[in-house]
This record gives sequence, structure tokens and C-alpha cells, in this order.
Amino acid sequence: MRPARAAAVPVLAVGGLLAGCASDSTAITSSPLCSEGPHGAGNGVILMAQSVPTATWVPCIGSALPQGWNFHHLDARNGVSRFWLDSDRDGQQAVEVRLEKSCDTAGATQVPSDREGMTRLERVDRISPAYSGTRYYLFDGGCMTVVFSLDGDNAGEALAVSSQVVGAIARSDLAAQVHEESGGRLSLDPDPGEGG
Amino acid sequence: MATLPSSVTATGTVARPQPPALRRVRRRRRPSGEPPPLPRHLNASGKWWLAASGAVVLAWIAVAVTGSVSLFDAADTRVLQAFAQLRSPALTRVALVAGGLATPVAVYLLWVANFAILIVLRRWRHLFVWVGVGLVIEALGSTMLTVLQRPRPYEVELIGRWAGYSMPSLPITVLTAFLVSTLYSLVPAGRHRATGKWVICGLLAVTALSRLYLAQDHPTDILAGAILGVAVPLAAFRWLAPNDVFPVTYHRGRTAHLDVTGIRGEAIVRALQDQLGLLATSVQPFNLSGSGGSTPLRIGVKSDAADGDTYVFAKLYAATHVRSDRWYKLGRTLLYGRLEDEQPFHSVRRLVQYEDYVLHLMNDAGLPVSHPLGIVEITPEREYLLVTEFIAGSREIGEAEIDDSIIDQGLSAVRRMWEIGLAHRDIKPANLLVRDGQLVIIDTAFAEVRPSPWRQAVDLANMMLVLALRTDAERVYQRARRQFSEEEIAEAFAATRGLTMPTQLRRMIRQQGRDLHAQFLALLPYRLPPVRIQLWSWRRVVLTIATLIGAFLGLMIAISMLGQPL
Repeated sequence: MRPARAAAVPVLAVGGLLAGCASDSTAITSSPLCSEGPHGAGNGVILMAQSVPTATWVPCIGSALPQGWNFHHLDARNGVSRFWLDSDRDGQQAVEVRLEKSCDTAGATQVPSDREGMTRLERVDRISPAYSGTRYYLFDGGCMTVVFSLDGDNAGEALAVSSQVVGAIARSDLAAQVHEESGGRLSLDPDPGEGG
Repeated sequence: MATLPSSVTATGTVARPQPPALRRVRRRRRPSGEPPPLPRHLNASGKWWLAASGAVVLAWIAVAVTGSVSLFDAADTRVLQAFAQLRSPALTRVALVAGGLATPVAVYLLWVANFAILIVLRRWRHLFVWVGVGLVIEALGSTMLTVLQRPRPYEVELIGRWAGYSMPSLPITVLTAFLVSTLYSLVPAGRHRATGKWVICGLLAVTALSRLYLAQDHPTDILAGAILGVAVPLAAFRWLAPNDVFPVTYHRGRTAHLDVTGIRGEAIVRALQDQLGLLATSVQPFNLSGSGGSTPLRIGVKSDAADGDTYVFAKLYAATHVRSDRWYKLGRTLLYGRLEDEQPFHSVRRLVQYEDYVLHLMNDAGLPVSHPLGIVEITPEREYLLVTEFIAGSREIGEAEIDDSIIDQGLSAVRRMWEIGLAHRDIKPANLLVRDGQLVIIDTAFAEVRPSPWRQAVDLANMMLVLALRTDAERVYQRARRQFSEEEIAEAFAATRGLTMPTQLRRMIRQQGRDLHAQFLALLPYRLPPVRIQLWSWRRVVLTIATLIGAFLGLMIAISMLGQPL
């Protein structure tokens, strides 16, 4: 074996192993909490608000996740933010929470909303052998979508978790928080009167 | 100077010529604190960038501790708002295009292109550093993003693509690191690289302006990203693939050889005078094609002889040679088992010390080797020079006239090595020189003290095969019978076949179209069963399995990396 060729093996192995560990480098692994003690919402929630500047509400994690459930990661980027919840029974990324400016609600049925100021729609794609469905919350300037892709046969827990754990915070509250934290120097959003 | 022991042969002794009288001056001990002849160092710019990186980290800590992040946010926002004042539809289109270099697609293309080029050029060292830099930068950047959790700019409309937190700017960090890595792995040092640095500056400036105009990052995000992106690859390439050891060139040549011009050449001259008292007048590569494990040199030195200057021979060993030796031995262990009964060296100092020791041992035992002159330290633990007598006017045995005296000298050298418990392990035409009717054995790097009997037997067979290249098997066999029994010769040829012969010897036998091995076997009154070469041990099994797993993982990961660089 030529030394150079022999050297190529560990190069690829070590490099690749590390690369595999470090994929998706902009993923945020800390939960976007609606309230982080006295400081208000976490920066992940503010980042979600920045990703959809028109959204008047921003989803967040409102309470502790029940046993068997874990936060997977948050992906916030221009135009859309998503985070996922893992379940030890319903599988990895069993619940996806998405914030967008608008969403396609074709096939969904409006049901009474459990959130003030939001219109709720439901669409069930499949109930057997595992539940698959989508819940929409429409509000001014945005849409919050909760997608269920469950491995287990009992959808009740996942649906309850999404109602109890996934919260929403008003953009105006986030703006007030930014203003306060910056000592009154900054606002979350640009002045509507300015071109910038 | 002490008289050299004579070479002993079956027909008597052969007086060995004295090495030329070298002019010696007083040697000088390097006082504590004085740098070695060739200090290992980062260039000034490397230190500056590392210091700047340290300053960035300190600034992060200071901001976090003092809670002054809002001050930076405010200052950054004012800068971005000033840029936003310049916005127009046309300028925005220009900015979106100008920022294209920091997009995932562009970074991916940069990665794949470098990956492919470095593999095609077999520039493994640079590829290794390239991959390492990419991973370190990505890990460092994403860790800082997670720790600092800085949102995107406030109070200004964000335009275009962005993802995740903003400090440091990951696109700028990765792009900068990839561009600098490309520069240091593909562009030769000198004028081209200097120009390349300015090109990178220009590309980064355009990208940074685009991102500021579009308010994708804060100014301080970009500054921190650029500093990290320059400092990490700069330090990595200068430490792990320094240009004087791993030069980026596009002409063919063996990469194991070091450049002995410039500061290294000056260091060698200075070190020879200080450490051996030799006054060097020239340092030139010598017979590079015959050596892959070191850089052989012919060094002109002042002489006390009437005819003026003379030469010494030197082998320049560097840490890279030790690593190559390690891989070479691993490869041989995998292919042949514990064929060589050997363990790799773990430092270049040990390697040189060992070769010097063996040379002294052979010289003291009256074996015809070049006279050892000492070891010279060029860079501590990284580069050493092994200095010996230069065998002037010699020819390789494959090109020289061979008489019975030369045959006897070769055979008696093997007999003497057996007596003192030594095996040369690399008996081949390139390592046997003939000068004025005298045989000289060179290159003792592979020699082993107290080798296995099998290894000693191989030395005899290889010596007989080499001697028969320019004569014939019958003649060599008859001379050998004067020093070795039929049983010893039979054992030698039972131990030697195929891969136990050095490649050069195998090639020359093949070129001659003579099956010398079979001819020697035919001359023997009886044959011994071939000695088994492939030896399996738990170590070899584990190493083989580990290598196969590593290769499989490497393949899988290489495929995934081609799709997802970071």
C-alpha cells in the first residue's frame, strides 16, 4: 500500500465522521421558550418572528414537555420557521410546528379555535395504521401549522401535547421585550414609515 | 583520526581508504534561549490573525459579562440603517447577485472542486488539512452561534437568504475559510499566492458589502466571521502543511524531498559549523530518484587536503518522513504480516539516532560502510541531518565491473553481519557501491539488531542475487561456498522469494530475463521447504479489520460529504 493512499483512508474517515456529526450547522437545539424567566421569550422566538416579519403571533414552547417527549431542533430562516418534537412512542419529529406568512389549507375543515385571535382548521390525512394530519392556525400576517406524522396508533397524546405545550406569543410582546432589553434604543421591526 | 578497521573477507582483509581530511573548526554549543538553526514558526501575519481571533473571543466574553450587547446591537443597527438608506430596486438586485458567493450552492461548488482537484493531484496532506479546517470552522462557528444566540438585525428589513442566529456570520466564516484553504492548498507560494490574497480580499469585501446592504448580518458578525475564517486555515496550513515541507507545485517530483535552498540551506550551513565544526560551501540534492524516505544531499565542505574542498554526504530527515515510514510499515504489516519484525519510529530524532547507531555499529565491526560523521539538528524534533563520508567516484554495483574480490567482499559482509547479529534488510543494487575495487554498503536505515534468523538468511540470498546480476549464479555460488555451508545457502533461498526481495532487485532480474533464483536453487544439492512468509497474528487481524472498517466508513462519508460539505 502506498503511504499516500493509506493516508487517504483516515483523511476521509476522520473528516467524514466529524462532518456527519456537524451537519445542518444553523439548526438551533435549544427550545424556543415562550418565557425564559424574567427576560421574556427566548432569542429563538425572536428569530422566528424575524423570519416572518408580518406574523402577529409567533409559536413557542409554552410549558415543559411531558415525559417521553423531547425538543428536536428549530430551523429559522427567511420566510419560514419550523421546529420539531420527538416522541419515544410516536417517533422522531412526530410533531412539526411551522410559521409562515401564509399556508394552503385546502381540504381542511374549520373547527372552534382554542387560541384567541386565531382561526383553527383541521385536516386528517390518515388514521390507520398511524395518524397523519395537519392543524392550521390562521391569524393576521401569518399561519401556524402543526403537522402530525405519528408512528404510534394513538394520536390522542400527540394532539394534546400540541395543544398544551405549543404556545404562541404576540409579536407586540416580543417588540416590547426587544425595546426594553435594548434600553429603548432598538425596535424589533423597522419603522413602517421608513423605506428600509 | 583513528584508523578504520579493515574489511574482512574470506580471502583476507581489504584495507579501507581513510575518509578525506575535513577541515574542522571549533564547535559551538547553542546557549539556552537561542533559537535553533531553523526555528519552527508561524509568519507574522499568522500570529496577527490568531491574536485577532483571541480578541474576538475575549470581546464575546466581555460583552456577555458586562451585558453590553445592546450597545453593539445599537451601533450595528445604525450602520445597517445607513446602508438601508441607499437601497433601490436596482442596487438590491446587484447586492443579491454580489452575495452569491456566500450561498450554499457556491460554497458547495467550492468544496467539491477542491475535493476533486486535491484527490486528482494526490495532495493528501493538503486535503487532510482542508477537510480539517472546514470541520473545525463549522464546529466553531455553529458552537458560537448556539452559545451567543444573537438574533438577526433589528429595526431594518432583512432581504434575501439567511438562516439561524447571526454571530458570527456563518456564511462569511465558511466562505473565508474555504477561500483561504483553497489559496494555501492549490496556489503556489510567492507572487501567485500574494495576488490570490488580494483577490480573496476583494471577493470578501464584495460579499460583505452585499450582506450589509441586505442587512443579513450585523457588521460585527461579518468582522468576527472573517477573522475566524482567516485565522483557522492560516494557522492550520502553516503548522500542518508548511510550504517549505509540503510545497504546492505543479511540476512532477517526489514530495518527500525538502527544499534545501533559502532559509533551510542557510540553516544547514550554520548548523554544520556549530554542531560538527564543518565549513560547508554548498548544499545540493543528490540522487533524489534513489531515495523516497529522506532528502539525500551532497554537501561541499572545506578540506585540509591539498586539493581543496571535498564533500560529505547527508540525509535530511523530517517529521514527514517518520509519518511516511509509519504508513509504509502499516501497509506492509497488512499485506505481509510481521514480515519485517519491525515497529515504526515515533519521532524523527529516534529515527536518525537509530540509523547513526547502526552505522557506527557496522563501521566498528569492520563492515564496509561510509564513515559516520554525526547528527545535526536543524529544527528540534522535526528535522535532523545524518552526516557521513561521501563515497566519491563510486558506481552502483549494477553498473560496475564485478570480480571475485567484489563477490567475496559482498559475501563476507553478510557473514560479518551474521557474526555481530545484524541484518541490513535492504540489500539491493542501489545500496551497494563499488569504488576502486572495494564494495561499500550504504543506507542502513532499515538495518536491525538481533533480527530473526529468517531475516538474516534473506540478506544472504539477496546479496547473492545482486552479485549474480553482473556475473552468473554458478560463479557466485562457488565463491559463497567458501564462506557459507550448503545448508546456510539452502536456507537463504528457502527464505527468499518474491516480495522479500527489494523492488529494484526484482525489477532488474526481470529485465535480464534470467530466473536467477531458480538457477541458484538448481545449484543446491538439496532444497529446504520454502519458509512461510505470510504470518498471521492477532495484531494483523485487528489491524486489517480496522482498516477495512475505516475504508468503508471513509467511502460512505466521502459520498455523504460530496452531497453535504458542512
